[in-house]
Amino acid sequence: MKLLGRLIVRLVAVAIAVSLATFSLLSAAPGDPAAAKAGFAATPERVEEIRSELGLNDPFHVRYADWVTGVVQGDFGTSVLNEQPASKLIGDAMPHTVELMILAQVIALAVSIPAGIYSAQRPNGWFDRLTGAMSFGMLATPAFVLGIYLAFIFAVRLEWLPAVATDLPGPFDDPVENLRQLILPALTLAAGMIAIYVRLLRTDLIETLQQDFVLMAQSRGYSRRRVLWRHAFRPSAFSLLTAAGLATAGLLGGALIAETLFAVPGMGRLAVTAIFTEDYDVVMGVVLLLSLAFVIANFIVDALYAVLDPRVRHGNR
Amino acid sequence: MATVETNAAPIPEAKSFAPERPKMGVVFWTSVSWILLVIAAAVLADLLPLRDPDALGIRTGEIQRFESPGVNAWFGGDGQGRDLFAQIVHGARPAMVLSAAVTLIGGSLGVLIGVVAGYVRGRTDAVIMGIAEIMFAFPAIVLLFAVGAIWGITMAILIPVMAVLAVPSYARIVRGVTIAVAERDFVDAARAMGASQSRVVIKELLPLVALPAIAFGFLGFGLVIATEGALAFLGLGLEQRTWGSLIAGGQGLIREAPHLALIPATAMFLTIMAFNYVGDGVRELIDPRPIVVGRKRRADGPRPTTASASDALLSIRDLRTSFPTPGGVVTAVDGVSLDVRTGRTLGVVGESGSGKTMLLRSITGAFPVVGVQREGRVVVDGTDLLSASPASRSAMLGNEIGVISQNPLSALNPVRTVGSQLVEVMRVHRAISKAAARARAIELLEQVGIPRPGRRVDMYPHQLSGGMQQRVTIAIALANEPRLLLADEPTTALDVTIQDQILRLLASLGDEYNMAVVLVTHDLSVVRGWADDVAVMYGGQIVESGPTSAVFGDPQHRYTQALLESTPRLDLPIHSRLAAIEGQPPSLVAPPAGCRFADRCAGADERCRSEVPVLERLGSVEFRCWHPGQGEAR
Ligand code: SF4
Repeated sequence: MKLLGRLIVRLVAVAIAVSLATFSLLSAAPGDPAAAKAGFAATPERVEEIRSELGLNDPFHVRYADWVTGVVQGDFGTSVLNEQPASKLIGDAMPHTVELMILAQVIALAVSIPAGIYSAQRPNGWFDRLTGAMSFGMLATPAFVLGIYLAFIFAVRLEWLPAVATDLPGPFDDPVENLRQLILPALTLAAGMIAIYVRLLRTDLIETLQQDFVLMAQSRGYSRRRVLWRHAFRPSAFSLLTAAGLATAGLLGGALIAETLFAVPGMGRLAVTAIFTEDYDVVMGVVLLLSLAFVIANFIVDALYAVLDPRVRHGNR
Repeated sequence: MATVETNAAPIPEAKSFAPERPKMGVVFWTSVSWILLVIAAAVLADLLPLRDPDALGIRTGEIQRFESPGVNAWFGGDGQGRDLFAQIVHGARPAMVLSAAVTLIGGSLGVLIGVVAGYVRGRTDAVIMGIAEIMFAFPAIVLLFAVGAIWGITMAILIPVMAVLAVPSYARIVRGVTIAVAERDFVDAARAMGASQSRVVIKELLPLVALPAIAFGFLGFGLVIATEGALAFLGLGLEQRTWGSLIAGGQGLIREAPHLALIPATAMFLTIMAFNYVGDGVRELIDPRPIVVGRKRRADGPRPTTASASDALLSIRDLRTSFPTPGGVVTAVDGVSLDVRTGRTLGVVGESGSGKTMLLRSITGAFPVVGVQREGRVVVDGTDLLSASPASRSAMLGNEIGVISQNPLSALNPVRTVGSQLVEVMRVHRAISKAAARARAIELLEQVGIPRPGRRVDMYPHQLSGGMQQRVTIAIALANEPRLLLADEPTTALDVTIQDQILRLLASLGDEYNMAVVLVTHDLSVVRGWADDVAVMYGGQIVESGPTSAVFGDPQHRYTQALLESTPRLDLPIHSRLAAIEGQPPSLVAPPAGCRFADRCAGADERCRSEVPVLERLGSVEFRCWHPGQGEAR
């Protein structure tokens, strides 16, 4: 459990670094929030009043401390949009983004695990070549380009799926409609991951399949399936897990794109809208949460790794 | 860790397959041409005979509103009749300038930092890589997005920010290469000769590091194009017209005029793809992959399953095992026949590359290379494993046949407990409850001499010592009370003090379970001490075989004699014991015409070189040598 302690220390350290970076970035932003808030007709005195009300005259560290204290208590400030609390806007958007990401991960794993395993069993067979070429292509396709292709094919031409997810129902209210609207953005997000996972799993498995313990499992008369899943796949699954954690960064960036493209009312779109309305409290909150999400995702991966891989658990690696 | 002798010296390690990527060649050069075309467009846009990209076609009457691609306007027109082709050609420039600047600045900074980190190592390295890791931890697009939102997107902002973001990737790659290169001799030599540090870095390291950095540069170039596109798509594009802004503009019109988004998107896709291909091609220059061995083919149709005439439990007849390698087809086992009766231990002895390990693998059929073909017969207890159905073969392996391998740690699954691996082998082959199997697992562990088996059963392999691990593999091999035990160098990887214990254990278990045992080793003293019979292998063949005492007492074949003469006193390290014979083992791709030992044999004559020695028998010993028994007996 010393390991877990170390992971937590790292988590906190990165969280502080990320929040500091975000905060200083946004406090350096041009434009005067006090003036924006006071409106066009306000007198300079009024603006000054609001400025001290908002604590904008305080030194940097005080403002940072105030902000962090607020964030920790769930107060992300106020949106310029109807004076709503930023936390409410973020809170409404978050579930959609989380669902989208989970869906994308599930699709990516569901496609890449069988594809990777099949490729590894017959290196350079037709299937392996095909998936190799496709992975290569998918890696070269930016998410928004792929998204446009998908929207054109499935929404415009075939008319199978909606091109926008503007009135997205909750996954439990209307699961079918929910999936219908999210499937294209999720695919857009998943494609890059699929490419990475397949290549990784394939290379890793080919290596594992030649290792002694796999040969030994074969020479004990185990079925192909058993050798593959119980012996070869498990060690390779750990590399896949790491990749999945790292891919979260790409997912977060991709969420900005996919949500904008398909009008999913998630955090990515919220952030994009907020930026154009100079709604900095919301932007700050979203950027902070997205970064933290990445850190936490990797923290979970590391922790899972420690729990699942006995070699790490016992500090042998 | 103890050094482990790899027995399969001439067998190439077919481990490093490249992740599949399309072949270099036509595609590579097409990509290069495409890149050149795009660069030309970026540079020459103003000089080309194009329409003015800003001319409104609806006003000039040249292009219709939303005109479809065609002869008039190749790529069609937009909502105001502007020529899309002209816009795309002109739009190539900003992204190319941006990518070139970012790649050059970020790349050179990254290379520099990577070389320093990899060369100096120590604390500098740790600090640099620590910072790099934190930078990796931040989703780049989110950062760019925030920066862009605050300060707006201009070249002056985008270039430095993206360059800085690119640095860690280059640094990491270059650092890895530097570390590998810096450990090579000539760099050491240059250092030793007093070359100053910076001279070493510049003259020796940089050229070697350049190629991987350039390869990654191409990928990075494509990445910058994609990132600019993504920003433009989010509404944070450069003020200039770019492919990204064209896509962003066309995206909302995907129903009315799909060409407006699809054509620039395709242009961007092709360009990124081309950069990736070229980067990959460059990488291929540094990293040539082994020619990949063909697919695994099943040996030809079933042969009649006839039990061997002898009463041997294991009876091998005329076994040939071959597999393709880049250098030709290796015949690792070439016409081997042998018998092992129940209760006997056969020692198979030979140098590295003599085929002894492949002989053992040919019995189980588990090979580390693909494309292995076996011919002949391997009959165990009346069943020919080569022609038997997969089901009946599986029923034999792990059940009637137990296997112990050379390196116990790698032979055990690292991520599963000792107990689960023991239970598995029992439950695969027989109907036994989990609880009963576990109880028997503990019993087995005790039997192979593992203290406190009740605790050890739940441990992972790496938590046990090497000797313990080998005891575990023995327990797994014995779990189903096999009748045949195959042991491949079971003690090579172990400490000398443990070796004897393990061999003693094997011998007593062999008696107890009344097994036939095949013990492969390169250690003559092991054979002398523990094997009833011995088969001496050389160049894929058995050159002499018989009862150990007879063969060792009066060796007939010159190779056996040489072996015994070179047999060391026990004070020599194990691995050098067989190395004392001069010369190299014969090629297994194109073996010598006559006796395979002729090149190294003191008594070789013309006949030895041209005619294959016939199998002769003297008492209980069989051998292949034209001039037998003329050495000094021991
Ligand atoms: S056959 Fe000739 S070359 Fe071969 S071992 Fe005998 S004497 Fe030497």
